Amino acid sequence: MARPVFGRRDGPASSVVPLDRDRPLVEAARRDPAQFDALYRKYLAQVYAFALYELADHHAAEDATERTFLRALAALPRFHEQALPEDGPEASTFRVWLFRIARNTIANERRTRRRRPAASLETALGAGLAIADGRDLEADAVTRDEAATALRTVQSLPDDRRRALLLRFVDEMSTAEIAGVLGRSEGAVRVLIHRALRDVARRLEPPAR
Amino acid sequence: MTDRRHPDRDTTEIDALVAHRYLDGLLAAADRAVGDGHAESLLEPDVREAARVLRSALVRVHPSFRFEDRLASRLAELAAAQAGRARLAAGGGTVVPFPLRTVDPAMDAILRGDLDPSALPADLDGDRPSPDRRPLIVTGAITSAAISLAGVAWVAWRASRPGAGRSPMGRAARTAHARRAATTGIAGPA
Repeated sequence: MARPVFGRRDGPASSVVPLDRDRPLVEAARRDPAQFDALYRKYLAQVYAFALYELADHHAAEDATERTFLRALAALPRFHEQALPEDGPEASTFRVWLFRIARNTIANERRTRRRRPAASLETALGAGLAIADGRDLEADAVTRDEAATALRTVQSLPDDRRRALLLRFVDEMSTAEIAGVLGRSEGAVRVLIHRALRDVARRLEPPAR
Repeated sequence: MTDRRHPDRDTTEIDALVAHRYLDGLLAAADRAVGDGHAESLLEPDVREAARVLRSALVRVHPSFRFEDRLASRLAELAAAQAGRARLAAGGGTVVPFPLRTVDPAMDAILRGDLDPSALPADLDGDRPSPDRRPLIVTGAITSAAISLAGVAWVAWRASRPGAGRSPMGRAARTAHARRAATTGIAGPA
């Protein structure tokens, strides 16, 4: 049976068990908006990375990140925590809610930028940005050509397929969280990701057998 | 009761689930060589390779510290404005002004509670079958307009043709009309 995703009220309200790992931080920010800073520092890199991959422009990603966090702080009094025990101890509905705001903000930015020539993700990623998690291509023996092909393919994917892939790989979200961000079922998210992987696979050289 | 599920759809979902399990292992593994062995054996090699390349290529990036600090200051200003607003609502204090409109034109509506920034809007994604209303309405409007225009053009064309009404449909319509007229003529007053 599919689990209810964030934002849906499938059952009676009493069946919703608060289980947000960010609850203490959210409650502190509600009492004193200045405390929102902790949530901001925690999720800044995640939101910014999502925006950069989506927009392929360093300045546009900063703008979208700024709007996302300002909107989140402004709307925080109306945020409703919804998580279920089966979502696990790592469940964070605040993160899902924040990324829904990011998704909307970025989608709007993409619409306004559609007439401009699309920038390359490789260029955007190489614009003097610090890599947060210290991974490097050499560690996985992935060639620069392969990485470049993969990035170009990701950029050309249909919207939800691309978003699902980025949220899974860059932000390491669970399918339940991605389902909440995109407003889709978990099964649909799994299919989106699988299709995206096949798209990338088609563009890469066949593996050595 | 028969199972009406489409076998292709089942296969797609199973393949997607296998890929999902493989990714779970790949992304969770501290040692990147370790994954879900069972899912790994079931997954197509080219998809596995694509996942491996993506894991390396899609790195998380961090914005500049200057940007981080600048946004932190803006958030602190907004937080002060919100706290001032709350104090004012409670019966005391002063509102700290914050030039929100220059940052985001939607901010006023969000602060008033008229706009939910997390609400998912309808959009035109290629992967989404048809759960959105806006594209359907737009498509419907375009279709109805096209049908109306085509109808007007067809009527005008038929009226201008001398041999109009010789089609089977025209004959059937004329026969039905003649029968109705005859029936009305008999039943009606002389």
